[in-house]
Parts: sequence; structure tokens; C-alpha cells
Amino acid sequence: MNVDAPKRDLAGPFLNRLTGFWRPLRTLGAARSRVNGSRSLLTAAEFQEELAILGLSGRRFEPEDYSDALGEYLNISITVHVIPDSWYPELSRLLAISGRLGELRYSEQLNLAAIFVPGSLPPLVLTLTILHELGHLAAGDLLIEPDEQFEEDDQHTEQTTFETLPLKKGKKLARGYPFAGESLREREANLRASYALFAGCLGDDSPYAHDMYDVL
Amino acid sequence: MSAAQHQALVLGSVSFVAFIIFFCFLLPSRRTKFSIFAACNLLFVALMFGAVALVDLSGGRAEIVVAVMTELPVVLIVAWVCLALAGGLPAQLPAEPVARRPWLRTILGSAPLVLLLSVGLATAVGLVWPSPALRVYAPAPPQFFVLKGLIMAPEAIYSGLAAMVFVMAGRGTGLKRRFYFKNLAFSVGMGCIALIALESTVFAGLRIWLSGEGRRAILETLNTLEAGLAISCILVFTAGLSLRYTPAVATTLLHRLQTGWLRTQEQFESLEWQAVSSGAADRLRHASYAVVEACRIEGLSESDTQRALATIRLVAVMRDPSSETQHITPDAARKLYELQEEILCDDVLASKISWAAGWRSRAHEPQTVKSAPLHDALKAALELVDNHGESEGVRTPPLWYYIVAVSAEEAKMIDSTHLSMQLRDGAEHRTAVEAYDAAKRALRMVDDQDWEWRMREE
Repeated sequence: MNVDAPKRDLAGPFLNRLTGFWRPLRTLGAARSRVNGSRSLLTAAEFQEELAILGLSGRRFEPEDYSDALGEYLNISITVHVIPDSWYPELSRLLAISGRLGELRYSEQLNLAAIFVPGSLPPLVLTLTILHELGHLAAGDLLIEPDEQFEEDDQHTEQTTFETLPLKKGKKLARGYPFAGESLREREANLRASYALFAGCLGDDSPYAHDMYDVL
Repeated sequence: MSAAQHQALVLGSVSFVAFIIFFCFLLPSRRTKFSIFAACNLLFVALMFGAVALVDLSGGRAEIVVAVMTELPVVLIVAWVCLALAGGLPAQLPAEPVARRPWLRTILGSAPLVLLLSVGLATAVGLVWPSPALRVYAPAPPQFFVLKGLIMAPEAIYSGLAAMVFVMAGRGTGLKRRFYFKNLAFSVGMGCIALIALESTVFAGLRIWLSGEGRRAILETLNTLEAGLAISCILVFTAGLSLRYTPAVATTLLHRLQTGWLRTQEQFESLEWQAVSSGAADRLRHASYAVVEACRIEGLSESDTQRALATIRLVAVMRDPSSETQHITPDAARKLYELQEEILCDDVLASKISWAAGWRSRAHEPQTVKSAPLHDALKAALELVDNHGESEGVRTPPLWYYIVAVSAEEAKMIDSTHLSMQLRDGAEHRTAVEAYDAAKRALRMVDDQDWEWRMREE
């Protein structure tokens, strides 16, 4: 995934100096928030709450419906481009060599997100790849300033809590903040994709949807 | 026996009968957190009213304490229901309409705090200015109205809000009929509690300001109404709790599918795609073209062609010892096949799990575990790679399988000496060999034409 951040026109030495003062303060704030903020990985029940917010809980839906509802909620335009191999034969090869299955581009300025996936992907992988990239948008992963100095710890269980980062600005669907670690953000996007696939297939047969209509 | 003792006896008896019904019939079959809490509450109410009926506690501050204690179970029920609707209980999801409205969630979540604070405040008011709270028809000072109002106003608001949420939940589109009735029952129950709270406030006001001959008759009518509402409330809650629905898919099974099957199948298919797209499986390219062409020559259906293509890909990837394909092993393939078979054993589940054949392609039939080419391809590839073409039992393999076997043998993906006699001798095998040879000739002609065209271009 790539983010095109808006370029701020801060002309003049005064504004540059002001930005210089502001940066450490902002970093301090972010650091404090990161130290204080931690949470565990998304559960299927928590995902069901997200679906309820989108008005999809208890309904059968396709990834297109999820994309449309998410775009409407986040107030951004989400487009999915399935590129046929005959158009760009190199795309699949380059993506495959890099170990990726799709690409997400996001522009804060244009309120636009575009997902690119090769048309030769098997249908299940295509669906899950699109849902994975939509999961990044739902989590607000594109609205953070990635911490390059963050060290990831691979030793964890499902119940472990992990550090999070605050959003720069913008709106997200998830209740919790995005994880500081990239691999965790990827792992959670995978979880969102699998939860979305099953929730869409099962509709009101999902036990989690059932729990939202049977609270007592 | 005073009027207060008489009323306490009626309410205590109703609560005790309700507790017995709950304990004997409902709890053994449906043991939810709420049903246990409600049963304990009913027992507490029955004991409380029983004590009031047996011992005359009228007069002084003891009367206030007992009066507040008799209100407490209902207050706790309202607080519990509001908290459950807001998803505030451990491992509890909010009600669907609440999840969509954060403001409603905040209001409902505040119920326990607000209600218990109001009860505390009412107790303080009652202890400072004692009033005949238990003597039902006795004239009361204005402080009594304040005491009642402090408890009943928030109780009416919160129970009314909860009733509204249950109505909204019951009206969800495409909802199972049982959920509709269940939420309707709880909505009526909470509505009854809201009405009791309103009636109780009006009753307190009348005790202060009403005088004359008709006073007693009006108060008695209101008392009867309250008892009727209390009985209705208990009955509809019992009905609501007894309506059960078991989802088609259990949570544990769903978790296992999400973390087991789906992850394995996705990894398997994506690794295979990466291996094929990056050109890691070198022997595959020509073989797959020839297989598709042979299937076309034989007039096989699109789905059979896809199965053949998926099988030759799998065989190539499993036989290619590159770094990209090292995870696609016969063992991994067998594990995935077994997981798929497990899903297919459950007809309901297997029919529900499907995925689109492409983006915004609703015109095409969605794929299922059974219809996706990978399922048959896994079995076929495992037979070719592991058993060297020995198919189980007397099953005659389809033509696409023979074409793949011929192609894999030709491309030296499988050892020809191990290909079973059963496969070699049949008419199907001869047809497959002829079709494959014709496909190769056709592809060679296309290649030659392509080469000539390029030469002319240069």
C-alpha cells in the first residue's frame, strides 16, 4: 500500500521554523500515545460491530457492497481495478516476484483510494486480496505516520496486546488505533478479509450476527 | 394484615411463582447470564416482599430502607438490560441498532451509574425526611414524591429507551422470525417496566395531592394496574427467554474454518499463482497451453478445462523444486484436501460458503468449495504425483484427467514407468493421447506462424 500525502505549501522561513518546533511536539505526543495505546488483534465479534456500523450485519453481502459501504462511511471514493493480464502482462510477473498480490494507493488530497489487482489471480485469492486492502482502509493504517524505529516482536499469542499509533487525521472504521508494527497491520488486514468473507457468505446465519439480535 | 402487607404478599407470591418457573423450566434449558441474573433477582424480590408481608416494618427510617430495597431488583434489571444492549458486559456484543449509533451506546452504557446514583440519592432524601413509603394508601408528604421521582424518572427513561432498541432490533431486514418475536417480547417487557415506573410516580403524586371519597378507589385501581403490569412483564420476559435459536454454524467451527481452511487455501492458491506468474515453474508454460488446446479439441466444458489447467499447474508446482514453490508439497495439498472434504461433509455449510468468480461479476455463478477447480485438481494431482495415476476403486477418471496425465508424462513431471496400466489401456487414454498430439501440432503451427510474422516485420 502507498500513501500520497498532501504537500503543504509552507513557504517562508518563519513557517519552516514553526514546523521545526511543531515536529518534536507532535512526535512527543505520538510517542506518548504509542506508549499508552495498545490492544489485541481484531476478533470476529469486533468485526461484526464494524459491519453493524456499515449496515451490513446479518446481511449477505459481496466485497463490492463492503467496498461501497466503507467508502460511504469514510467519505472517500474507493475504486477497484482488476487489470487483465493481456493489458499489462508484466504486472502479474512483477507483483508475483515481489511477493505481493495487489496494490493499494491512497490520496488524502483527493479523498481517493484505488486498489489494483491482476486479473489472473484465482477467484478466492482475488476476493481476499481486495478485502485485505479494504481492511487497511477500515483500520486507518494509511492515516498513521509509520514508526521506522519500531521493533517488532514475533513471539506472541492471540491474546497479547500490541502497541498502536495515533492517526494523523482522517476517519477510520475500526474502534482501535492501527498497530505500530507493519507485520501486525498486515496480519489484521488478513483477519478482516477472512471475517468479511465469512460474514458476507453467512449473513444472519453467522453466530456473531445472531448475538447482536439476541443480547439477553 | 395492613394494605401494605397485603400488597407485599401479592407481589412476593407472584415473584416466587415466577422464580419457580424460571428455576424448573427455563434455567435447565437456557442458562444465559441474564436468565441466571433474573432468577436471582426474582428470588431476592420474593424474599424481600415476603419479609415485608410477615413483619410490619412500617414507620421510621426502616420503612424507607425496605421500600428502596424492594425497588432495587427492578433497577438492577433495567441497568443490566441497558448494559447488555450497549455491549458493556464481558464478551457481549451490543445490539445491532446500538452498534450503529454511538450516542445511544453512551446513553445506555451510563444506565448502571445513573440508576444507582439516583437510588442512592433517593435513599438519602428518604432518610433525611422519612415518609410512609410502605403504607400504600396513607397520605404522604411532598418529600415522598421526590423520593419516588428520583428512582422512577431515570428508570422510566432507561426502560423506555431499551424497549425502543428492542423494537428497532426486531425490525431488522431479513431477520429470522424467532428474533422478531423475541425482541418484541423483550420490548413489551421493558415497556411494562417503563409504565410501572410512570404509574408509580403518578401513584406517589396522588397519595400527596388527592383527597376525598374517590381517593382510595383510584389508588386501588392503580395498584391493580401495577400488579397486572408486573405479571405481564414477567410473562413476556419468560416467553422471550424461552424462544431459542441455534445458528446454522457454531462459533468454534467458524473460527476453525477462518484460521484453518481459508488461510491454507488462500496461501496455497496465492503461492501457486506466484510460482506460475513469476515463471518459477518452467515446465508448465507449454504443458498448460497444450492441455487447454487438447480440452478445446475434445469439446470439454469450461469447468473441466479449468480443472485440467489447475491440475497440471499443481503437478508442475509440486514437482518443481524452486524456492517459491517449496511450501506447495503433496503433504500440504493433502491437508488442504482433507479440510475441504470436512466442509463438504456439512451440506448446509458447504452450500453457504461461496465467493465471486470476479470483481463486480454477479452474472457469473459464484464459486464454492465443491465447484472451484482446486478441489478436484487437488485430488487428481495427488493421485498423479503420489499414486502415479492409480485411481481409487473402480472409478473411471474423466477425460480431462487423462489429458493432464498424458501432458504431465510428456513434460516429465511424473515418471512414465509408474503410470498405471489401468490408465494406459483404456479408450479414454488413446483419445487423450491423440488430442494432446493434435494440440501440440496446432501450437507448433501457431509458433511457426508467429516466427514467420516476426521475421517479416524485421
